[in-house]
Amino acid sequence: MNCNEIRERMPDVAAGFSELTVDEGKHLESCGACAEQLQAMRSTMTVLDEWQVPEPTPYFDVRLQARLREEMAKPQAGWLHWFRRPVLAAALTVILGVGVGLFFARGKISNHGQEATIVEQPGTAVSDLQALENNHDMYSDFEMLDDLDVQQDVVANP
Amino acid sequence: MLMAATTPQPSSAFSPAVVGGEPSDAEIMLRAKVGDSSAFDYLVQKYRRPMISFMYRMVRNAAAAEDLAQEVFLRVYRSRASYEASAKFTTWLYRIATNLAVNHARDTRHERPEVQVSLDEPDQESGATLELPDGNLTAEQVMVRRERMLAIRSKVEALPEQQRLAVVMHKYQQMDYKQIAEVLKKSESATKSLLFRAYETLREQLKEFV
Repeated sequence: MNCNEIRERMPDVAAGFSELTVDEGKHLESCGACAEQLQAMRSTMTVLDEWQVPEPTPYFDVRLQARLREEMAKPQAGWLHWFRRPVLAAALTVILGVGVGLFFARGKISNHGQEATIVEQPGTAVSDLQALENNHDMYSDFEMLDDLDVQQDVVANP
Repeated sequence: MLMAATTPQPSSAFSPAVVGGEPSDAEIMLRAKVGDSSAFDYLVQKYRRPMISFMYRMVRNAAAAEDLAQEVFLRVYRSRASYEASAKFTTWLYRIATNLAVNHARDTRHERPEVQVSLDEPDQESGATLELPDGNLTAEQVMVRRERMLAIRSKVEALPEQQRLAVVMHKYQQMDYKQIAEVLKKSESATKSLLFRAYETLREQLKEFV
């Protein structure tokens, strides 16, 4: 038995929760410091006994029963209670956001593709304009051919 | 009226006596888990006083102590379905209580009123009016006794949080080292050392009252 070993036991012995063993008793007889420390701790415990607490109020049980009844009356948590978990809720929000984003992005892509392939009915003003725009290069060539014809006429009739 | 002892006195319709010996609190809690409300009532009655006194010594306010003690039992009730009897029931109970008390102390550390002693007004924290428990004591003697109690209380409250929890559980709840260690999630030797240091500090601080 050494001083450290008996010091660990001192709170229990000083509080009266356990008795000294024979070895501990022998150590205290031979070690004045430990004996003094134990005596001081016993005195401290006696002082600490003076700190008392108030009796529970008569309303404690009544209020507890009321709170328990409220708790029992609450509906059993269904699958929606998972949404109350913050991490899960945040994860689901992100997944939902990404999903909605992807849906609209794909919709735009497909709309863009549809716009490119729209063909107006022939004979309408819009279709004529589209035809002019699409065949702009070809019509330019026609104009050059017209110029060539004029030159040939000049050569034929000097 | 004050209570010094924390001896439980359960009184409910539930009778713990069964063939083969008295069931442990963990076994009673397992009955509560499967819907036996009288088993739950029994545990409430058994631990209501220890819980209130533990909370009172942790939060310094009688009304808050009762609220928090109720909250402990509500949490036990809510968690009954997930209860596993792997540890002692009281370890589980005090772990819930410790978490609540620590959180409450942190949330309200700026709200605490100064401790004042007056013969004419009731105790601001306990709400109790000054009583003369001993007919032989004069009002002045009662006043001195109360001042002394408040001083002792303030010394315990001045301890670091873990030391204070350990002292309250050891000295006032009469829990053993192993159980305190489990509640505080420390090793048993670390708990012994924590308690020794706490009592040494109190010995120094309370010298004048010895």
